[in-house]
Amino acid sequence: MSEHVLVLISAAPGATLRAADREALGAARAFAEGRGLAVACAVIGHDVQAVATEAAERGADRVLVADAAELVTFNGDRFIPLAVAAIAATEARVVIVPRGPDLLELVPRLAARLDGASVMGVVELRGDAQDVSVVATAFGGAAHAVYRFNAPGPRILALAPAVAEAPERVAGRAVANEPIAPSEVVPRVEVVTPAAPLEGPRLEDARVVVSGGRGLGAADRYSMIVSLAKALGGMPGASRAIVDDAWATPAQQVGLTGKIVVPDIYFAIGISGASQHMAGCSNARCIVAVNTDPQAPIFRYADYGIVADCLEVLPELIRLAGDPGA
Amino acid sequence: MHVLVCAKRVLDPDGVNGYALWGRLKVDESGRSFDTGGTVPRIINAYDEQALEAALRLRDAGVDCRITALTVGGEDAGEILKRCVAMGADRAIHVFDAEAQTDGFRVARIVAALVGELADVDLVLCGRQGSDYDQGAMPGALAEWLGASLVTMASGVAAEPGTDGAVRVTRAVPNGEEMVRAQLPAVVSVSNELGQPRYPSSRGMLAARRTPPERREATEFVEAGETATVELVQLIVPDVQGQCEVIEGEDVRTKAAGLMARLRERGLLNV
Ligand SMILES: Cc1cc2nc3c(=O)[nH]c(=O)nc-3n(C[C@H](O)[C@H](O)[C@H](O)COP(=O)(O)OP(=O)(O)OC[C@H]3O[C@@H](n4cnc5c(N)ncnc54)[C@H](O)[C@@H]3O)c2cc1C
Repeated sequence: MSEHVLVLISAAPGATLRAADREALGAARAFAEGRGLAVACAVIGHDVQAVATEAAERGADRVLVADAAELVTFNGDRFIPLAVAAIAATEARVVIVPRGPDLLELVPRLAARLDGASVMGVVELRGDAQDVSVVATAFGGAAHAVYRFNAPGPRILALAPAVAEAPERVAGRAVANEPIAPSEVVPRVEVVTPAAPLEGPRLEDARVVVSGGRGLGAADRYSMIVSLAKALGGMPGASRAIVDDAWATPAQQVGLTGKIVVPDIYFAIGISGASQHMAGCSNARCIVAVNTDPQAPIFRYADYGIVADCLEVLPELIRLAGDPGA
Repeated sequence: MHVLVCAKRVLDPDGVNGYALWGRLKVDESGRSFDTGGTVPRIINAYDEQALEAALRLRDAGVDCRITALTVGGEDAGEILKRCVAMGADRAIHVFDAEAQTDGFRVARIVAALVGELADVDLVLCGRQGSDYDQGAMPGALAEWLGASLVTMASGVAAEPGTDGAVRVTRAVPNGEEMVRAQLPAVVSVSNELGQPRYPSSRGMLAARRTPPERREATEFVEAGETATVELVQLIVPDVQGQCEVIEGEDVRTKAAGLMARLRERGLLNV
């Protein structure tokens, strides 16, 4: 039996694979290839068959499934023993975790429990399974750091966005689910009041994102960002600078500590292009920058730029967006 | 309640950004730090400052708590503890550790041993991650090794009504906010959604002068010569390839039209 790289997925009920999950399967496949390794995928959640099926269709050689009603939302106390069981069953030395909201709990706890090690924001895997080293983002993306490990246990690696392509999906490629038996745990942490369910579309899924920054100059001008986003059928985003100043809401923040967006077009309007902001949008297909300063770093990332006052440009763009013939 | 706040000294991220933004960020000869000519100050990690603020708000809300600020780090790392005391911490401990500060697992091991020694810590508050290496490994590893509850991404910490065996934590989650109850002992890591930390008061600054940090040695808690779990081998400054087409035009109107025309040509717009 060959050794495995394990991809660890926590899935919402009835969900399909997220882009982040597919990238993780792609990264696992790329690492396995040429190193004599196979890819295993553990899916933890409730009502997760669609995810398990797609994981197999996207190349997982083994699929382990923990499916139970109490796994409907992430709870570290419940998830970690199941992840531990999946690692034991596959004897994985390298575990790849797709990006997601629960990484800060899942990744280091799992590493600590197994006397292993973890790194977040991995952009590249080097070496082989016994002696893997990684390159990861640091200083909000302004730098990369190369790490190696000195720990007996497995290496738990959380990926940065867009570091791998999704493996091709081969319909009908199937492997039998291997069940992971849920363990009896009484969680130490319980949700008392859940977050209100999200209404409407998510910024992360928008095909067009129009973000404003401090260059707008005043809170009320954020309404122009909203208008342009609406006119283009997209959603408004923001830099942290203006979220901190309450010109926009935290849910609109794009970046390292905000949302990670991958639209077809990202408009950065009055945004300087700090690495922490770019960490949330640099994988857009096309970046457009509007900035008065021709030296602004955002132009290093942008595909198209307009050097001008955004307060003059925005009304023009809103007008043109509303009138395709113009 | 005894609250331990863990804080780390980091290169001021705004200073690093200043270099990065203008493409002047360089790695020095060691390969593991930046060559900024000493112009970028080292400050308290902003998330850790917010963790301390969370502790102070707990006390302001009437919870009877003693607050101890802790840092693990080299000779000058203790500097940030002055600020912690000036903001309102009652006590400060500096565990001297000359090892590189990139291994959250090592720090967690040291803090876990210290918490064992202190014996009465109910709540450990940390920042969600260091703003330097963005790893966030320390709180999770610490909770695991203490067998404590872990709550990440906290935007507020409050007493749990009707019991002193738990805390109530508000968390920033993708859909907004949720509220959880965590049994004590607990490790809670705080995110920027908590909001602005307070400024030190003048009384606090006096207290800071009178309360020098207690100094301990890392080797009291981990074996001397122990290798890092996660070892930083090298820092690299990635090249950002600029290929921006700056849209020219005699006025804003033509520039805007030129941009929209290109986006439509590439099929990127449906409107
Ligand atoms: C740990 C950490 C995490 C962070 N996380 C995030 C994050 O998730 N997201 C995020 O966005 N930031 C984050 N930041 C902050 C980040 O470093 C920057 O400070 C922030 O992105 C700057 O926002 P800005 O571009 O709106 O403002 P500024 O940097 O002030 O830039 C304003 C820009 O507007 C331009 N401008 C001014 N007037 C006009 C005008 N009239 N028309 C057009 N342009 C104009 C200026 O030339 C300038 O380029 C983080 C920082 C740290 C330390």
